[in-house]
Amino acid sequence: MTSPLQFDDEKRKAITQCSRCGFCRAVCPIFDLTKRPITNARGKMILIKEVMEGKLPVTEEVAKAFLRCTTCMNCTTNCPSGADPQKVIKAARKQMVDAGHDNLFKAMGEVVEKFGNIYGESARHDWGHKKGQAPIVLFLGCVGTYREEESMAETIRLLDILKVDFTTIDEVCCSGVMEDVGYPMKEEMARHNIREIRKTGAKTLITTCPYCYRVFRDHPSYKDLGVEIKHVTQFLKDFDFQVKTDKRVTYHDPCDLGRHAGIYDEPREIIRKIAPNFSEPRRSRENAMCCGAGGGFRGVSPKDSVAISKNRLAQIVEETGAEILLTECPSCLHNFRNARRRLKIEIYNITEFIAHLYQEQNSKKEEAA
Amino acid sequence: MQKLIKIVGEGNFTDKLEELVPYSYDASMNVHRPTAAVWPESTEQVSQIVKFANEQKIPVIPRGAGTSLSGGAVPIKGGIIIDLSRMNKILEISIENRYAKVQAGVVCDDLNRALAKHGFTFPPDPASSSVATIGGNVNTNAGGIKGAKYGTTRDYVMGIQVVLPSGEVMHTGAYTMKCVSGYDLAKLFVGSEGTLGVVTEVTLKINPLPRHAMTAIATFARLEDAGKAISQTMTSGVLPSVMEILDKVTLKAIKENTDIDLPVAEVMILTETDGFTWEEVEAQMEVVLGVMRQNNPSLTKTAKDEKERLGLWKARKSAYATLARTSTSFVLDDVTVPISKIPDLLVGIQEISRKHGLIVATYGHAGDGNLHPQILYDEYNAEQAETVEKVEEEIFHLAISLNGTLTGEHGIGLSKAAYMTLEHDPVEMALMRQIKRTLDPNNIMNPGKRALD
Repeated sequence: MTSPLQFDDEKRKAITQCSRCGFCRAVCPIFDLTKRPITNARGKMILIKEVMEGKLPVTEEVAKAFLRCTTCMNCTTNCPSGADPQKVIKAARKQMVDAGHDNLFKAMGEVVEKFGNIYGESARHDWGHKKGQAPIVLFLGCVGTYREEESMAETIRLLDILKVDFTTIDEVCCSGVMEDVGYPMKEEMARHNIREIRKTGAKTLITTCPYCYRVFRDHPSYKDLGVEIKHVTQFLKDFDFQVKTDKRVTYHDPCDLGRHAGIYDEPREIIRKIAPNFSEPRRSRENAMCCGAGGGFRGVSPKDSVAISKNRLAQIVEETGAEILLTECPSCLHNFRNARRRLKIEIYNITEFIAHLYQEQNSKKEEAA
Repeated sequence: MQKLIKIVGEGNFTDKLEELVPYSYDASMNVHRPTAAVWPESTEQVSQIVKFANEQKIPVIPRGAGTSLSGGAVPIKGGIIIDLSRMNKILEISIENRYAKVQAGVVCDDLNRALAKHGFTFPPDPASSSVATIGGNVNTNAGGIKGAKYGTTRDYVMGIQVVLPSGEVMHTGAYTMKCVSGYDLAKLFVGSEGTLGVVTEVTLKINPLPRHAMTAIATFARLEDAGKAISQTMTSGVLPSVMEILDKVTLKAIKENTDIDLPVAEVMILTETDGFTWEEVEAQMEVVLGVMRQNNPSLTKTAKDEKERLGLWKARKSAYATLARTSTSFVLDDVTVPISKIPDLLVGIQEISRKHGLIVATYGHAGDGNLHPQILYDEYNAEQAETVEKVEEEIFHLAISLNGTLTGEHGIGLSKAAYMTLEHDPVEMALMRQIKRTLDPNNIMNPGKRALD
């Protein structure tokens, strides 16, 4: 049997890089939940190796197996052999789609084209903030806009409190996620965002979503954007906040912000300014466990995605005893809030939490007056 | 197969091709498909599975994390994989009686994290400890870096619960520090590579964690000097907790492929002393360094703090990864020789490497003579794939000729099965096979391994 898929030298090398040591078992969030070898990186590296060698046909089930990855990159970071499984997995998703194995994200692509967002929502909340000329554009992204509106409202409020001169735009999905799930980038979406951003005359683009941040920063479709790209934690790290909390606070590194974008210190610098009582879970920074939301996994397997979030949350609570969990990613935030149930911990984006602290301070002042 | 589903439930059974493919491999180069896989959640379920398999004469392959480097976990005759990953509960930690009782699927590092809270540890530390299971450790008699001072898994197994090939459940061993009551059947299962039964629970002796450790390295321009330094250290009266060695091929690969700054040398030795007080640790290290200095080192260096300590460990820790990254494929062996023979083994391996034109980098545990020749090749190059077998064969012959053994900690599995008779005489082989037949007359337990069929 010859392989139904094409593998050039680069792909072959990426696949044979795996020495099957199995060390990824320790860090794979889906394997941690299921204990099924097909769900961890080694399992999928073996599948694609057999496909490449013509030993395994690409069935629907094989194609589906490659969707069971959050692309959290924890395996890559911890791989002694230098393999990058999430890259191989994303490439395999594309190869399989090209070979005719469409997956559920085909429909998502159509929705993105029609509605401009991944959820097919037609009404867009605009938080009443100004739109127009400003030195800074704030890009909120699909998950924040349609699933964590209140949190986004607080982020916007914080930027206003800090007197940041910014505008929002008529944004559409950055559409980078399409490539991660096997389909081409929606170039028209990128062009729309570029047009809208340019109209404002802004020099800087801030995102709350670390995934959008990566797409704007790294994707060739946005290479002519001509503005400085900053994640909101990078933007805010040198600000002085006039608020503090005594509560026990901890932080979850979003995979897209940490391992994928290399941003670990800025969120911590901000948190240390406002929360002296800050401690970290055992698995943090490069080794942080995934919340289970990424890589399209929440769409593929919503139940498992939330179960992973629950596990991560339980570990964080056990290890830190924190009352407040901070992160800065609408996807992590959304998944954790879905998973919280009876746990006492409160979960916020950092920016949202700081806005709350300002509000508390104001209420206290008013009471005193 | 309906019967298996009935025993473990639908969610704990699979016979789907795509799920069986990953179970066809471990960390070695062996491959074979199983027929099905199950994730039992109790000893009772394991018992029923094995009983059924025995009646039907279907092979059964117990599996932990599947990190075997010898093909021990590959189902070479097909059959049912019993994946013990879901039996991962720590059942009891008894500090006052110095033991921990765990299910077979508990991961080494998880156990050690739980023990560390009490200031205790289970010392065997295979490189795969972040994923390796205790069941796997027991079945391969796993060792690791601290073998010379702290021994291997065998030295810590007090008792086990095992499902015999008949499906009967046996408890053997004791909860006491000493026991000569009957044959030591628990130890028969240690290192048995799943050929005698399915270990489901293990009671392990635990040690207090040493409070302090000090690290040093020494490099040598001559192999003979390094060999003397190792032997003299191990007989100096001080037992270092670590005594690792890296040969020049390994050092060259690390130097060329990483930013780790290394001196040019024939051999590097990394050593560590540990103990209850810092004074004790330092005094031991003085003795070790004295021995090193008497044997013409080109350099010695000690670490004063944790940062420096990690710096010295960097080369040793990166050896496997560096070599894995620079080759398409590799075989990692674990021949072991009496410690005075280490220089002969290293010289011999380098000669074999030159003769066949494949790179063999050797590093490992000098303190107990257990070395890891890593043979680099390309599995898609037919000539190299053939040569690698010749290289292995010659290394095995060399180790045996030096009064050594084929395997110090990885096990025989499939990769070394053909060489069993090199090490074991016909009388011993016959007795081993007789033991296997007595316990497992239908040869269902991990068949095809260790030349026992």
